[in-house]
Amino acid sequence: MLLFRSEEWIDKWCKRNNLARGEVITINHVWELSKLWYQDRLSLDYHGRSIEQVQEIFRQAGLTSEFWHGAG
Amino acid sequence: MNESLLWQVRHFVYNHFADTTYSPNVEDTAAHFNISPAEAGELYKELNNRHAFFLEPETLTVRMAWPFSAIPTNFKVHANDKTYYANCAWDMLGIPTILHGDAVIEAICTESNDSVRLEIRDAKIAQAALPGGEDAASSTLLVHFPLPFARWYDDLTFT
Repeated sequence: MLLFRSEEWIDKWCKRNNLARGEVITINHVWELSKLWYQDRLSLDYHGRSIEQVQEIFRQAGLTSEFWHGAG
Repeated sequence: MNESLLWQVRHFVYNHFADTTYSPNVEDTAAHFNISPAEAGELYKELNNRHAFFLEPETLTVRMAWPFSAIPTNFKVHANDKTYYANCAWDMLGIPTILHGDAVIEAICTESNDSVRLEIRDAKIAQAALPGGEDAASSTLLVHFPLPFARWYDDLTFT
């Protein structure tokens, strides 16, 4: 997941690498996702996540499109 | 496979990263748990298989224990009087989250090569600055996820 200054630079990068554009979200949105995703990662009780738990985190972060579904 | 020991090893590796900025090698982990390096190696491989962390291919060296990177990247995070490297733009925000503290992040924007400085204070992005001190409304900075979630583990380095 790469950081870009604007949409224009994402398009340039995709074109130069001959890659389809994926999903783009703002850094503030990623910050909210990060808090849900990483807050418990240093705990001894963290044993990974089920697909259902991952999907719930995406849902809480408002990421509900097909892009965020699947087995991972 | 001893499941309890497996997750204790995961916990040890992650907290070693948090405490030191780098991963413990298999010998260090074996000594910590009073087990053989071969046994520790098997636990490392199992944790890699379960996507708990990512080993350099064909080695027992931890490359990624998300959000931490064992190698320098374009995402540098200063926190707790230490400097960490994150694997990606998402993970650079994961480090202050996992450490539950403030941080200063120095990152490079892909393609434009602009450097960006972010300050994390009180669990918020307090400031984002572009070269020359130009304030960047953090909402204008974007993160591109090139692959859908279902394909993230196909090639972790690319993801």
